[in-house]
Amino acid sequence: MPGPVDLLPGTLDLLVLKALSLAPMHGWGIGQRIDQLSRDVFQVQQGSLYPALQRMLRKGWIRSEWRTTENARRARYYVLTAQGRRQLEAETALWQRTAAAVNGILRVRMADR
Amino acid sequence: MIADLLERLRALVFRRRWDRDLDEEMRFHLEQATEEYIRAGLDPAAARRQALLAFGGMDRYKEATLDASGVRPLQDLTADIRFAARALGRNPGFAMAVVLVLALAIGAATAVFSVVNAVLIADLPYPYPDRLVRVFQRNSATNLWGLSVVDYQAIRDQQRSFDAFGAARGSVAALAGVGQPKQIDIGQVTSGFFGALSARVVAGRLIEPGDELTGAPPVVVVSSAFARQRLGGASAAIGRPITLDGVSHTVIGVLAPGLDELSGIDAVAWPALQMPTPTRRGPFSLRGIGRLKAGVTIEAAARDLAGISQRIFPLWQAGFKDRLARLTPYPLRETIVGRATQQLRLFAGAVVLVLLVAIANVATLMLVRASARAHELTVRATLGASRSRLARLVVTESLALTALSAVVGLGLAAFGLRLVSRIAPNLPRIREIALDGRAVEVAAALGVASGLLVSLSPVAAVLGGRFASLRADTRRSGGARWSNTLRGVLVTAEFALAVPLLLAAALLGKSFARLQQVDPGYDAASSFSVWLVLPASRYPEGADMQAFWQRAVQRALETPGVAAAGLATSAPPDNQGDVNNFNLVAHSVPPGGAEPTSPWSWVTPGYFAALAIPLLEGRAFTDADSSNAPPVVVVSRSWARHYFPGESAVGQQLVEGGCYDCPRTTIVGIVGDVKYQGLAGDGDGVYGPLSQSMSRTAALFVRTRTSPESFIRPVLGALRGLDPELPLAGRTMADELRGALADPGRWSAVLSAFAAVSLALAAMGIFGLMSYVVRRQRHEIGVRMALGAEPRDVTGMIVARGMRYVVRGTLVGLGLALVAGRWLSSLLFGVTPRDPGTFAAVTAVLLVSAMLACLLPGVRAGRIRPVEAIAEE
Repeated sequence: MPGPVDLLPGTLDLLVLKALSLAPMHGWGIGQRIDQLSRDVFQVQQGSLYPALQRMLRKGWIRSEWRTTENARRARYYVLTAQGRRQLEAETALWQRTAAAVNGILRVRMADR
Repeated sequence: MIADLLERLRALVFRRRWDRDLDEEMRFHLEQATEEYIRAGLDPAAARRQALLAFGGMDRYKEATLDASGVRPLQDLTADIRFAARALGRNPGFAMAVVLVLALAIGAATAVFSVVNAVLIADLPYPYPDRLVRVFQRNSATNLWGLSVVDYQAIRDQQRSFDAFGAARGSVAALAGVGQPKQIDIGQVTSGFFGALSARVVAGRLIEPGDELTGAPPVVVVSSAFARQRLGGASAAIGRPITLDGVSHTVIGVLAPGLDELSGIDAVAWPALQMPTPTRRGPFSLRGIGRLKAGVTIEAAARDLAGISQRIFPLWQAGFKDRLARLTPYPLRETIVGRATQQLRLFAGAVVLVLLVAIANVATLMLVRASARAHELTVRATLGASRSRLARLVVTESLALTALSAVVGLGLAAFGLRLVSRIAPNLPRIREIALDGRAVEVAAALGVASGLLVSLSPVAAVLGGRFASLRADTRRSGGARWSNTLRGVLVTAEFALAVPLLLAAALLGKSFARLQQVDPGYDAASSFSVWLVLPASRYPEGADMQAFWQRAVQRALETPGVAAAGLATSAPPDNQGDVNNFNLVAHSVPPGGAEPTSPWSWVTPGYFAALAIPLLEGRAFTDADSSNAPPVVVVSRSWARHYFPGESAVGQQLVEGGCYDCPRTTIVGIVGDVKYQGLAGDGDGVYGPLSQSMSRTAALFVRTRTSPESFIRPVLGALRGLDPELPLAGRTMADELRGALADPGRWSAVLSAFAAVSLALAAMGIFGLMSYVVRRQRHEIGVRMALGAEPRDVTGMIVARGMRYVVRGTLVGLGLALVAGRWLSSLLFGVTPRDPGTFAAVTAVLLVSAMLACLLPGVRAGRIRPVEAIAEE
C-alpha cells in the first residue's frame, strides 16, 4: 500500500475550489474533505492550506464568513463566489485536457511495447 | 483586481482583527486535529503535539498566510521597527555607540556640505548670477589688477556686451554727524554697480548717472541696518545728511535688508563715486562689475574688452607702456570664492573620508553584533523565519539606527554651522551659509545610504546561511568565512582611509608650525599701530597732510615711554598697501612688455626704527627726503637679490609707475625683508618717503620701552589733541600677528579633529575585531595552550593577526596619500605634500595606536584558562 503522495503543484487550488463547490466549509473541513475525496492518496499539508485560502480570497474566488459549527463552535467558513465557480470550470477543463494528453501519451507508449 | 485590492486593504486596515481571526481559525483547526488524534487513541497531550507537528511550523504558517494576504511589506516594517527598537533597547550601549559615531560623521558631513554648497555651488544671491562678471586688467595668466578711471570710462562709453556696467571702490571713512564718530566700511560706487547686481531699495532711490558727475551734490545710499541703527528707520533716513570723511552726503536711498555685502565689498554706506578727470592711465584702484547681455558669452565680452584696450592704449602710452595689458572679464563667482575653493575642497574630501571610516566602523560593529546574536537569529530561523525575513530584520535595525543618527547628526550640523563663523570668519559668502532643505535631504540620504552600507555585511552573513540551524559547527561554514573576510576588509579600509586624513592634518599642522616660525621681519612684541585717515574736507592739500603726519609722529615721540615712531601706508603682515609697477633703468623690459610690480609702501624716516627693521646697506630716509628732493626708495633684501642678482642694488635707478617723464628714482638703501603679503608670502618690498606721496591714509607705528598695551591710550589722547574728530583705534602688533595666524591655525585644528576621530575609529575597529576573534576562538586558543603555547605566544599571535590588517590598510592609505598629495600642495607652506618625515611620523603613530588596540585583546587571549575554554564546547 503506497503512502500518501504530495500534491502536484497547482492542484491544491483546484481541489479546494472543488471541495467548496459542494458546500461552504471551514479550513479544517476542506482539508478533511480533500483527504477523503482523494481516498487518502493526497496528503494536504495543513500549513499550506491557509495561505492558499488567503490567496483565493484575494483573487475573489471565495469569500469568508464566520459561522457556528454543528457542535456550536465559531469557525471561519469559506464560500465559493460566482467568479470562483467560473475559475473552477476553467481549471477543471484545463486539468482534463492536460490529464487526457498525458494519458494519451502514456497509452501510446504501452501500445508500442 | 478590485477585489484583490479591497481584500488587501481590509486585511491592512483591520489588521488586528485579521490577526485575531487567523489565531482563532488556527486554534479551531488545532482543536479539530487534536480531537481527531484523541479519537485515534492518543492521550490529549500527545494528540496536541501531534496536531502541531502535522500543521508544520507555527510561525512559518503565520508568515506564509500573511504573505498570501498581501499586506506583508507594511506589516513587516512596523513589526520590524518595533522589534528593532526592542532589540536596541536591550543593548543601549551598542546603540549609543553606533548613533554617536554616525551622528558625528553625518553631522560633520552635512555641515561641510552646507558650507560648500553655500560658498562654492549655490548661485550668487543676485538675479542672473551666471551673467555677472568682474573686469580686471591682466598682462599674464596670473597677474591681474584693478581698473583705472580711464578704463572704467572707456568701457562705460564703448562696451557692447553688458546690460549694466559699474565700478566700485571699497574703503573706510570717518562717519560724523550721526551719533558717535566712527570708522565705517564704505563702498564708493557708480550707478551701473547697483544696476549690474539688480540691487533694490526699500526707500528712496539708487545712485543715478547724474550723481557721478564731478560737482554734483554728494549723495549716499545706506544699508537698512545702518538706517535702522543710526537714522531712525528707512523712511526717516531719506534726505538726512551724514558726514563721511568730513564731506556732508545726503542719504537718497536705503537698500533692501541683507544687502550689506555686494560682490565682495562689505559696506554699510554706498556713496556715489565721483571721478576726477584723469591725467594719466593709472592708478588702478577700481573694481569693474558688469552684467552680460542675455546670450553674450564671456569669450565674446573678452573680445569686446580687448578691442577697447587696444583703442585706448595709444592715448595714454606716455605713462603706461604695458602693451600686453588687456581688460579681461572673469565670472564674478570665481573672483569672490576663488581663494576659499581649495580649502573647502580639502574639507569636503576630509569629511567624506571620516564618514566612510565611520560607516566601515559601524558596519564592523553590526557584524560583530550579528555574530553575537547568532543564537537568537538561529532560533528565529528554526522557528520558521525565512532568510529574507531575517535579512530584512537586520536591514531595518540598521536603518532605524542610522535614521536616528541622521536626526542627531542634523542637530549637530546646525550646531556646527554656528561654529563656522568662528572657525572661518573670513570665508566669502559666509552670510549665505544656512541649514536648508537641501542639507536635510543630504542628511537623510547619508542616513539611508549608511544604513544600507552598514547592513550589507550582516545581511551577507544571514543570506550566507550562517543561522540556518542550531548546529554549533555552522561557525565554520562558508557564510562565516565570508563575513570574516568582510570584517577584515572593513577594518583594512578604515586604516586605508585614516592614513590620508592623518597625513593631511599632519602636513597642515606642520605648515602651520612653519608659518609660526616665519620671521615676519619686524619686532611685533613691543609696538602697536593706529590707522589714520585724513578727510579731504579738512586736509585738502598735500601740504596739510604732510604737516599733520609730521605733528602726529612728533606727538607720539613726546609721549613718555615711547622709543620710536613712524608712519607707513602698509602694515605687516597682511596689508601690502599699494602695488606699483616700475622699470629698472639698467635692466629695463622692452617697450610694450609687462613691467614688474612690487608692494610699495610710503613711510616716514622713523618707520624702520619703530618696527626694528634692520638697515643692511646704504642709508634709510631722513627729513631731507622731502617732497621737492630727488625721488629715492629703499628696497628689501630679497627685492634687491631678485632684481639685481650678483650686484649691489644701492645707487641703481628705476622708473616708477610707468611715469617715464618723471625724474628717475634712485635706490639709496637696503633693509631686511618684511612680510606684507601674508606670512607665507615673499619679502619683496619697496619703500618711498611718505613726503613724496599723496596718501590720505597711513598707520602710525609706535615702539615702546615696556608693554605696548599701556601706551595706546596716552598716544591716542595725544593724537586727539591734534584733531578731535579723527576716529582712532590702536592695536598691538602682537595681536595683528596672532590674527594673521588665526585662520590657518583654526583650519589646521579642525582637520586635526577630523583626523583624530578617524584614528580613534580605526583603532576601535581593530580592537573590536580582535576582541571578537579572541572570543570566537577561545576553544582553539585553549587547545594551543594546553599543548604548551605560552601566553606570550598567544598574545603575539593575536597581535600579529591584527597587525596584518593594519599594515595592509596603512600601505593602501599611503598609496592613496601619494596620489592625492598634489591636492594639498597649494595649501601647504614650507613642507611638500610628500614630506618623508611626516609620512614616517604618521605611519608610526598609526602602527603604534593599532598595536596598542590589538594588544588589549591579545593579552586577554593569553589569560585564557585552557581547561575552562576546552570544557565550554
